[in-house]
Amino acid sequence: MGNLLLSVVSTVGLIVLFTAFCEIGVRAGWWRESVLPAPSTIFGTLATLLTKGQFWEDAARTGFEVAVAIVFGGLLGFAAGLVFWKAPLIGRIFEPYLVSFYAVPLVLFYPVMIVLVGINAMSVIILATIMAAIPMALNTAVGLNAMPPVYMKLARSLRASPRQALFAIAIPAAGPFIVAGLRLAVVYALIGAIAMEFTTAQAGLGYRIRYLYEIFDNNQMFAYIVMVLVLSGILTVLLAVVERMLLRGRNL
Amino acid sequence: MTTTLTKPDQAASGPRRVRSILGNQFVGATLLAVLLAVGWEILSGLTFVIPSPVQTMSVLFKNLTDAAYLFDVRVTAQSVLLAFVIGTAVGGGTGLLLGLSHRMRMIFEPLIIILNGVPKIVLYPVLLPIFSLTGSKVVMGVLFALFPVLINVSTGVQEIPRVYWKLAKSVQASRRQTLVHIIFPAIRRPLLTGVRLAVSLAVVGVVLSEFFATRRGLGRVVLQSYSHGDYPSMVATIMLLITISFAISIALWQWERRIH
Repeated sequence: MGNLLLSVVSTVGLIVLFTAFCEIGVRAGWWRESVLPAPSTIFGTLATLLTKGQFWEDAARTGFEVAVAIVFGGLLGFAAGLVFWKAPLIGRIFEPYLVSFYAVPLVLFYPVMIVLVGINAMSVIILATIMAAIPMALNTAVGLNAMPPVYMKLARSLRASPRQALFAIAIPAAGPFIVAGLRLAVVYALIGAIAMEFTTAQAGLGYRIRYLYEIFDNNQMFAYIVMVLVLSGILTVLLAVVERMLLRGRNL
Repeated sequence: MTTTLTKPDQAASGPRRVRSILGNQFVGATLLAVLLAVGWEILSGLTFVIPSPVQTMSVLFKNLTDAAYLFDVRVTAQSVLLAFVIGTAVGGGTGLLLGLSHRMRMIFEPLIIILNGVPKIVLYPVLLPIFSLTGSKVVMGVLFALFPVLINVSTGVQEIPRVYWKLAKSVQASRRQTLVHIIFPAIRRPLLTGVRLAVSLAVVGVVLSEFFATRRGLGRVVLQSYSHGDYPSMVATIMLLITISFAISIALWQWERRIH
């Protein structure tokens, strides 16, 4: 427990320290306000941001894209993982592609996607879904393959139906891997969606940052950047906590 | 005649052990690629905006003889290489420190995990005034490439069996000797995994930055041909980037699997 406390205190401490450094840096004139505004200015803008409809629209758009991508990507990846486990040949054929496209390089296909589908939420959702599906598929397949053979022998000797064997034995056995895959799926969907919006889009948090950069609205832009960093940071922490809670009591 | 033609082909495919690893998978994966190319061909017939594979290839070869295009290729390649080298060095060094010291890990690990989950590309406008147009994309590539190496090395060092450290102590190995002869060989697999991810992430970091703002580079070529409606050139450039990072990843992955 002492370790956890040290981690929490030091993480908060490092963030506070960095913020203080930025504040002092601007006040002391080490760099210009336009390069990196004082955190106090950013936080002031951040507070007004939360009262603006524009911000909530962008956040809702990004949130929608990410949520849809997680749901479909998670299901698709899970199904693919099951197939790779049941039919190892298919798994082996797909493996090189999944391993080397470990999610992120797919962002480079975004311009092709917007030519095909148009600049809308759909093109972001499609690619973010694939990005979320890849870690999910790999983790599900690895988790199921790592299961001791005796588990499936047990299922057979109990004459479990295929469905029972899957839901009562295989999926719980691969649980830790599947949960980790889901966590990666969330992270990749978020990173991918924001990166694509940042390239070109009509709305969304990533797009807004680019737009504010282009109209030289520095304070607003930094408020948005900090907001994206804070939101995704909170999401990462929440996911780690949920993962730990789900896996509590397992001998890992 | 046929026997003389096939024989050198078989001999060229290397030792039998390697062939048995590649074997089925190589054939299957190639078939899948062919299938995808056919799908692409059909898709390009249905919509007018996407060029066919053949057209893309011919545009790519034409581009590759163009001096201006080659300059863009070089700019991107240099940035990626620099980002990869710096990212791997910084990530490997930090990962080593964190792996060796339990206290350091307790202090910095949560922050590193948080930063890894953050969409780093949004920091690009912050980097621009600090590192200028040419430097920023390298820094962005470093930020992308850094984390997989860091996390893999740190985990790898933690998982070194205790008996290795005892061995180092009993032969009175110096710090450098321990590093070179014990730590590196022990973590070569996770290190290689990290390096493999770092290569493609460095490409993504640099090209995404070029999508946003830069003077020269393939990312700019892609976005420019997009806005000019020159889709064959756009698709050809994207395929060039994807194919190269794919080829490097696959080569490293094969190497990784051969290390047991």
